[in-house]
Amino acid sequence: MHKKDFLLHLIGEMSHFFLDTNPSKMVISLHQEKDGIHFAIFDDHVRSDEELRSIREALNSSRRPELAGYYGNMSGFDFVGDPRLDLVGWQIKHADVGRIDKGTRIDLWLGGDEFDPNNFTIPDK
Amino acid sequence: MTQTERKLYFLFGGILGIIIVIGLVVQGPVEALRGLLRIVVHPARLINDFTLVGGEGAALVNAALTALIGLVLVRINRIRLAGPTVAAVFTILGFGLFGKTPLNVVPVMMGVYASSRFLKKSFKEYILIALFGTALGPVASAVAVEAGLTGTAALGAGILGGFAIGTLLPAAAMSMLRLHQGFNLYNIGMTSGFLALFAASLFAASGTVLPPQLVWNESPSPVLVYLIPVLSALLLAAGLILEGAGAFRALKKIQKLAGRLPSDFMDMGTPGGTLLNMGALGLAGWGYVLIVGGDLNGPVLGGILTIVGFASFGKNLRNTWPVVAGVAAATLLFGKGLASPGPLLAALFCTTLAPLSGEFGIPVGFLAGFVHLMMVERTGAWHNGMNLYNNGFAGGLTATLFVAVIEWYRANRPGSKGPKKTESPIPEEGRK
Repeated sequence: MHKKDFLLHLIGEMSHFFLDTNPSKMVISLHQEKDGIHFAIFDDHVRSDEELRSIREALNSSRRPELAGYYGNMSGFDFVGDPRLDLVGWQIKHADVGRIDKGTRIDLWLGGDEFDPNNFTIPDK
Repeated sequence: MTQTERKLYFLFGGILGIIIVIGLVVQGPVEALRGLLRIVVHPARLINDFTLVGGEGAALVNAALTALIGLVLVRINRIRLAGPTVAAVFTILGFGLFGKTPLNVVPVMMGVYASSRFLKKSFKEYILIALFGTALGPVASAVAVEAGLTGTAALGAGILGGFAIGTLLPAAAMSMLRLHQGFNLYNIGMTSGFLALFAASLFAASGTVLPPQLVWNESPSPVLVYLIPVLSALLLAAGLILEGAGAFRALKKIQKLAGRLPSDFMDMGTPGGTLLNMGALGLAGWGYVLIVGGDLNGPVLGGILTIVGFASFGKNLRNTWPVVAGVAAATLLFGKGLASPGPLLAALFCTTLAPLSGEFGIPVGFLAGFVHLMMVERTGAWHNGMNLYNNGFAGGLTATLFVAVIEWYRANRPGSKGPKKTESPIPEEGRK
């Protein structure tokens, strides 16, 4: 899948998830880093620790190439049912989920096969 | 590989091994191998019950050997043995009783492999397409044994035919997925039906007539009749041994899942709970066939084994029964017999539409089952039975219609609340 197509699908699925809570604000930011793309999205909906843990788990799921390459194509297309972050999780390298002042922020790092986390601005744990 | 995965390999590999031994014992090794040869050179289009074509023992050996190819492919590619791969292996096992042979599935798999290499992608990404894509095995068989060729020309043409259609599978599969948005579990069934339309047209254009087939074992032996309850008992026992009482808690959780593609119950529940779900659905399918007085022959066992497999990847007791009820109601309303081949197979394979019931509720599931029966009785003729997952094709068309209507309704009706919320990877509170 070309980068543009992939990003469009990603934006679609993540927007689907954030808009499901009917926020009054949602911001998406994308920027190119040394070895891939940093995608950030935040809204003004406050979620509990348990909710954030569930989101984190879905986005940082184990590597499933058999699902990513095939069913991952549904991300950003399936708007009839609930949003599914696991579809996104199978296709990205890393995700950070956290609370911001009055809402939730998710950072996703999308890299190629030669992904090197050192080339990214991934925050230290 | 995790410890649990090792146990799963031992369990499923062991099941396949036992089936091979049973097959060799019931028919005798020499006769079973002769039967296997008859199966391999026989047309594989719907409906050819291999338990009659080659004998029950030979059919069991054929099914287990074909499924073993799938299991080995998963292992050598280091793909996790979990919901989708277990579903694929059991589906191959089931259809090995009425359409798939080691000889006709390999060319299709090779075609999918070539497609992945052409795009410089890892085969791992397409392995599920290759496994489920073996639904098009009858295309290879039809070219080899029904196109008027003989000898090595027939063999070569058959391999080439299977290979060629396999190369087209990935592209078509991904497009089809978007049509029904994961509400048809047998997506490759829809894809294969679509591609088989072209294959059938090619045969027609070349003047080759592919007559309808119905080879149906009306008196299966006790070996076939009791295969499912024994298998189900084994799966239930394995689930309990693996996780004890915890497996029941996971089973309860699995019943709440909508089952939309891709729902790996081994991840969303647990492996033990999933094994219980597989055993329970196996018994439910077997019970349905007994109640309606159907024949537990190759195709019917194939239907139940497919349900058992997909009980790890989308089907549960809660989301399947409304669809089956819909098919049964349509069967009775249109004056057909519940034990007749078409309606009986439709009642088993219609569970491909279980996610509609799981996501949108019982009435939608029931209605989908009702529509499915009408569709499936037409679609088989369109592709001359060359798509073994004919119910997946009909189910895909049905799901696409339902999704289109639901999407249109939700998008246009002011104040529409949308579908009933069911459990998803993100809990309800995570979305509100």
